[in-house]
Amino acid sequence: MMDRRKFLGLGAVLFASTILPTTKLNAINFSVEKPKAWDQEASTSAITELYGNGALIDTKDISIKAPKLAENGGSIPVKVKSKMDLESIAIFQDANPRSLVAVFTVPENAIIEYDIRMKMRKTSVVTVVAKGKNGKLYRNTQNVEVSIGGCGG
Amino acid sequence: MRAKAKLKNGIVKVKAMFKSPMAGREEAEKKKMKPDFITQIVATLNDVVVYEISTGAFISKNPLFKFKFNAPDAKKGDKMVISQTDNNGKTKTKKVKIK
Repeated sequence: MMDRRKFLGLGAVLFASTILPTTKLNAINFSVEKPKAWDQEASTSAITELYGNGALIDTKDISIKAPKLAENGGSIPVKVKSKMDLESIAIFQDANPRSLVAVFTVPENAIIEYDIRMKMRKTSVVTVVAKGKNGKLYRNTQNVEVSIGGCGG
Repeated sequence: MRAKAKLKNGIVKVKAMFKSPMAGREEAEKKKMKPDFITQIVATLNDVVVYEISTGAFISKNPLFKFKFNAPDAKKGDKMVISQTDNNGKTKTKKVKIK
């Protein structure tokens, strides 16, 4: 016979598992979903881990606004803008020990005009890869020169 | 966490500043601390997700995020909920009034 303590415990586990998805509000935490992508050193392998092997279409419809010469590598403002119908956007670089910087999931009513500040140890290419609602992958790149490295180095 | 949200012509503009050392593996070693960085930020308005970002340790420390979204039904005084999760599983939530 199952004793009462165990039975109650089972109920608590079941309850937790049913309530969790609703409190998450359909948000995708990419560091939990795709842990491998965050461990890649090169942008190319990080892109493959995150989005698969699909062909990348180079486009100017996703604009990257970043300084050509950044004085402080500890805080580089990067703005990503687009009018395309996108599902998610990811930012990569090759200056730090690992490549992936951030992944945006684009909600229904979003205006794609995202500002972030990132760290870069040295001069490198910043790559933005976006997945469209049509499943295609788009890419744009920009070179950012860094005079003083960030990342505590 | 500090945040401002402004409504104008059906568009809400948000500026949010978070407090975190954003120290990854290498940086944490140098500073002799545990890795500590935000891994996810989600903003919702009336239970609809309006902003969602998963971040790694290469975002600047005490990061600032700016974003906009369409909100035709939003009114001034509505409350946005912004929540952050870090790599150690800690979460913080804040309500922000739209001005």
